[in-house]
Amino acid sequence: MLKVVVARLVRLVGTLFAVTFLTFGMTALLPGDPVNAILGVETVRDPAVIAEIRADLGLDNPFIVRYFSWLGDAFTGDLGKSWITDQQVMETITQRLPVTAELAFLSIILALIFAIPIGVLGAYKQGKWQDNASSAGVQVALSVPNFIVGIFLIWLFAVKLGWLPASNWSRPSTDGIWANLKTAIMPASALAMTQMAIFSRLIRSDMVSTLQENYILAARSKGLSDRFILFRHALRPSSLSVMTIVGINFGALLGGTVIIETLFAIPGVGFRLINAISQRDIIVIQGITVFIATVYVVINTIVDLLYAVVDPRIRRR
Amino acid sequence: MGVSAMRRKGLHRAIAFLAAAGLIASACGGGGDSTSEPADSPAEETTSEPAEEPAAEEPAVEAGDEAEGDVDTEVVEDDTVQVSYGGSISVGLEAEVTGLRPWEDNCSSPCYNMMVAVYDKLVEQDVTGAYAPYLAESFSSNDDYTVWTVTLRSGVTFHNGVALTAQSIVDMFPIQQAGAASAGVVASSGLTSVEATGDLEVTYTLSAPKAIFPSYLARAPLGMVFEAGAAAADPDGFSMAPVGTGPFVIESRDLDNKTVFVRNADYWGSDPDGNQLPYLDSISFLPIPDEGTRLDALLSGTVDAMQTLRQGTIRDARDARDGGAAIELLESQGNNVGGGMFNMAIAPFDDLRVRQGLISLNSQEQVIEALGGTGISLPGTQWFSADSPWWSQKVAEAWPKFNFDAGVEKLNEYINDAARSDGKAVGESIDVELSCPPDPTLIAAMQVLQQTLEATELVNVTMTNYDQQTHINNALGMDNGFQGVHSMHCWRWSSEDDPTAGILAFLSEPTNFPNWTGEYADEAKALAAESGATDDFATRKALFEEIMMIIVDQLPIWYSGHTATAIGTSPAVHGLNGWHVPSGDLGIGFPSAEGRWSEVFISG
Repeated sequence: MLKVVVARLVRLVGTLFAVTFLTFGMTALLPGDPVNAILGVETVRDPAVIAEIRADLGLDNPFIVRYFSWLGDAFTGDLGKSWITDQQVMETITQRLPVTAELAFLSIILALIFAIPIGVLGAYKQGKWQDNASSAGVQVALSVPNFIVGIFLIWLFAVKLGWLPASNWSRPSTDGIWANLKTAIMPASALAMTQMAIFSRLIRSDMVSTLQENYILAARSKGLSDRFILFRHALRPSSLSVMTIVGINFGALLGGTVIIETLFAIPGVGFRLINAISQRDIIVIQGITVFIATVYVVINTIVDLLYAVVDPRIRRR
Repeated sequence: MGVSAMRRKGLHRAIAFLAAAGLIASACGGGGDSTSEPADSPAEETTSEPAEEPAAEEPAVEAGDEAEGDVDTEVVEDDTVQVSYGGSISVGLEAEVTGLRPWEDNCSSPCYNMMVAVYDKLVEQDVTGAYAPYLAESFSSNDDYTVWTVTLRSGVTFHNGVALTAQSIVDMFPIQQAGAASAGVVASSGLTSVEATGDLEVTYTLSAPKAIFPSYLARAPLGMVFEAGAAAADPDGFSMAPVGTGPFVIESRDLDNKTVFVRNADYWGSDPDGNQLPYLDSISFLPIPDEGTRLDALLSGTVDAMQTLRQGTIRDARDARDGGAAIELLESQGNNVGGGMFNMAIAPFDDLRVRQGLISLNSQEQVIEALGGTGISLPGTQWFSADSPWWSQKVAEAWPKFNFDAGVEKLNEYINDAARSDGKAVGESIDVELSCPPDPTLIAAMQVLQQTLEATELVNVTMTNYDQQTHINNALGMDNGFQGVHSMHCWRWSSEDDPTAGILAFLSEPTNFPNWTGEYADEAKALAAESGATDDFATRKALFEEIMMIIVDQLPIWYSGHTATAIGTSPAVHGLNGWHVPSGDLGIGFPSAEGRWSEVFISG
């Protein structure tokens, strides 16, 4: 087991090194000069001022020097300071991560709330109209991009019905849980749509197999109700794949809410990343990208290790 | 909102989101400021009156295009509703403001909305476009405009309780000299020293005559007054907690979410009836980058006001209003005009015949239609909209109109010239790289131009789209001696500020974007310099007309339509249209969707 852990950790370090190098390299290779962003479109370009700003930012140093300098700082948790806002990148991330994490968490909860009954129903009524209808619905949910769902939700619940605010994120700490949920429910629902579709497909297919197990037949022969069998005996063993995907998707959502955060003007990590990209704030782009990649890679590594714990065959490889 | 309008809006939003996917920065535009310098101002002891009443009697030529739609809202006194104190409003902005330091943070329209809440400017423009004292009580110059004396209002304090004195302005100067946003402005203004020559008297000394110096005091980098002590003590922190003398005091700043300002109870300003300003208890600014969501936020009451610099959003807002939605629109047709430039340093754009041919093939009406601006944006012919006092009918008439045959003829002249500058064989088509930022409407507009050019069978068009920063850099060419790597390049021209500085910046070397040099450029530059050395309105107008005519002759740039902007409000919000300068005259209104919030109040 120790060997497996060490191997996974070595791979983790290697992956992170590659991620940081590629991120740093790609942002450095991007055409366009961050000095432009700092000076703005119409500012008179005084070459002396430009040279001074470039020197201040260290842009005159070779790429490799800048990379290792940044990497050394990153190891100590210092991801640098925004060239545009002067805010520390780590502070930027820690301020916004709870917002994005809340969205990701809510969307997964919402997705599970709908995915479980849909998946169970599809398996229980396999091949019947209920299964076909739920499959068709799931296909639609998978096909419609989440921002389209978001636009529709805004139109319906904000403009037409006036039940929810179109944007204006409320923080639970200052505005209360209820106000926070009112601003979170639409973006979380938009994000949940695709998740729900994926989860329900997984639950359905796993449960179809589970329902063919002997112990299910035994339970039926004992006269237990279908609902009891489905939710007490079949659901738990059919949830392993979905639980794995939930974990991975949660990690992916931390970096994958960019469009929805922009649409709803939610001050999360993705919204900041988009702003940083439009402002050519390279330090922030690097910091957030590396952070997201790190979270994703770490979560995957943890999942790998958990597999090894659960499945002895993996430990022996 | 009508069903068809809603469908169209939804479709536009979907397309925009797919294509833009977060490229929020307004493509090619949005009107940054920082450098640009503003308008005319009298040199003698100033009142709010302009040096001369600008050409109101100028025949309103192409304003006949008004028939296409109501393109702006007149700035008028809003005296139909009783002013009342109290209440809060929230305002949706098109982007988050990167910082609130006038000397450091490059400022565009969203930023101005916030900055004017917390800072006062020494000088403001009145409704005629003339410069009027604001935080300054008066300003005047010596005879040759090299020394300017500004007298500050008495009894003004900063939000931290520090009294405003002449020394406050002097202390700002070293910070402004070093600031990323202000250093270039200090240099272009020729400002060499700022001295306190009395408790409230500040003397600005310039290296060269500058009759338009007050225009510099009407924009953020040099004109917004901040508490230098606090700025020097914590320059980074100042961005989040700015200290000015403005009508509102910052209460909280939650970056990317909400910035809240509360009433400055000690504010010096009052309305023409003597009521102390501001009226509102607080005002919140919310960055909502998606145009559709911002409009929906207004329609649903999530915000009380919103700004837009997009004609598509103005169109949707008009549709919503006409469909019965309870909103009001304050529209402005700006001087800022879309279009582009040629890189005259490279072939074939170094040849006038090519530029003439390509511009003759630019159907402005079709381009504006593709941009979604029909009835909203007027075709550009110069750096001034028809409402500007500087607008010239002569230039409007002289600007080449769409003429396919004439375009083909000019291109043929070049193509069949054995000495053509691009080195190609006689009869071979010319190559054009048409480049714009990846904004969906811009791409649609450029496709219209591409189709027309290719229909001649004389032009091979390659369309490229780079994000805004890359697009700027391609034109700037910091790596190749500022020559750039552009050829036919989308760009925006002009602003509401004084034309002199804008034209000088346009022609300044080495960063002259179209690489327009030679005798005509020199002549235009000399005329621009001359326009900055006099405050006589008629003289300056004539000089600008001459410059615009040189542009018509040489065609380093082309135009599509003027930039329409708007502030939408709920019907309960008043006072945005019809704010005042201290003399009691109306202020300039809401150009570039920049609101002034001190006289805003809520009815009912």
